[in-house]
Amino acid sequence: MPIINVVTRTGEARLVDAAEGISVMEAIRDAGIDELLALCGGCCSCATCHVYIREEFEHRLTARSDDENDLLDSSDHRNARSRLACQLIVNADMKGLELTIAPED
Amino acid sequence: MATMPEHVPETMSRARARRPDHIPEQYVHEIDMYALEGIEQGYHEAWKNIPRPDMPDLIWTPFTGGHWIATNGDTVREIYSDPTRFSSEVIFLPKEAGEKYEMVPTRMDPPEHTPYRKALDKGLSLAQIRKVESKVREVAVDLIDSFVGRGECDFSAEYANVFPVRVFMALADLPESDVPTLSRFAKMMTRPEGNTPEEMAKHLEEGNKGFFAYVEPIIQARRGKEGEDLITVMVNAEINGERITHDKALGLISLLLLGGLDTVVNFLSFMMIHLAKNPQVVEELRADPLKLMRSAEEMFRRFPVVSEARMVAKDQEFRGIDLKRGDMILLPTALHGLDETLNDDPWRVNLERRGISHSTFGGGPHRCAGLHLARMEVIVTIEEWLKRIPSFAMKQGAQPIYHSGIVAAVDNVPLIWSER
Repeated sequence: MPIINVVTRTGEARLVDAAEGISVMEAIRDAGIDELLALCGGCCSCATCHVYIREEFEHRLTARSDDENDLLDSSDHRNARSRLACQLIVNADMKGLELTIAPED
Repeated sequence: MATMPEHVPETMSRARARRPDHIPEQYVHEIDMYALEGIEQGYHEAWKNIPRPDMPDLIWTPFTGGHWIATNGDTVREIYSDPTRFSSEVIFLPKEAGEKYEMVPTRMDPPEHTPYRKALDKGLSLAQIRKVESKVREVAVDLIDSFVGRGECDFSAEYANVFPVRVFMALADLPESDVPTLSRFAKMMTRPEGNTPEEMAKHLEEGNKGFFAYVEPIIQARRGKEGEDLITVMVNAEINGERITHDKALGLISLLLLGGLDTVVNFLSFMMIHLAKNPQVVEELRADPLKLMRSAEEMFRRFPVVSEARMVAKDQEFRGIDLKRGDMILLPTALHGLDETLNDDPWRVNLERRGISHSTFGGGPHRCAGLHLARMEVIVTIEEWLKRIPSFAMKQGAQPIYHSGIVAAVDNVPLIWSER
């Protein structure tokens, strides 16, 4: 099972087990990190699972859809590394993925 | 808005369109979207009575000017998602009425649509909406406090019809005294009266003109002014580097009013009827604040209220069915959230549900711009209600009255609770 490195808003580094096939959002939520609100449960409609992906991992991920892009635009904290964690489905390539939870809007 | 209808349409007197030659007879089902069979039992129940396991993905009805209806969630989703095949050139039915609809940018396709949408998003983004949370909460608390001591209320008349509207008028900096007028215009557009497409078109057009006449002086007054309210932000937005034209501003600001006045209003009543009858769900919500916040999406899935249409953009074969440019397809969002092939045990509000699938906010480029506001209104309502009224029920013998249309409505929702 790939392990993901998550940095919380307080700067705490956490290792999260992520089963292949679930979303990164679900993996973080299931690890009990409640600051990732993920209000919509993963249907890409709320922008509350906003994370920053460390640059060198970007090429391992699927591209942003239009919906994801629009939702990210609605955050005051969007930057070039922004993703919605619910849209990233865990696969073997994601081993060691490093991400930081974005500030709350 | 959700007052008793002055006129209840009867199938007998409703005009039927002639079946066009490209539509085989086996697709025909007599379904009147404005007077669904079995609506007395509930709006969602009435829609879900229609699909049958062997039914094609689209069926055709001669009512409301003659149009297709998507019969399952996957079809609703696909049609919403692709404006190149399914245009927003006309989105309200009957088509004759939809052609009189002049809101902006709901009848535009990309790329024309894109800059207008950006202007809307600017005012309604998650970040903007979070800034008004305390205001939203204050409105909810004021309303609940006004009747909590009485031990009962008509939820539809005393909360649902008032709360989202008050929030919206505050965000737009408009006087609350204008609400009845605007609610009447909204209803004329989303549940227009009449037995023929022409009569309904006339009614819708009057509602649309009413909105335009109302916003005209407001736009004039806020052009070029400083201000944080939604209207000032939007009438001073730039479209492709130029200030939005007056005509387009009329449509854009009117759309804001229409969208904010009729949707959450009715959604909230559907949700509360269910909670009043399912105390175990209420208990779950009370026990876990985070679960409560995350419950909104499951509520959106379970209680969709909108049925808009798309226009076939070009002659095509879609899922084995011949479609002609100009054909209209109704997309009942109720048939997505309640589709048992996409959501297991769909009638149950399951706060643990994973992989929620719905089109309650539509989809594709026109997905509801107000979804962040809607979600916050729902969460704040449940939170503040349960803090003051931890358990409640429907009054014995209560018979809510349901209406179907572009936006579904329900009134007469008497709730009771123990006074404290």
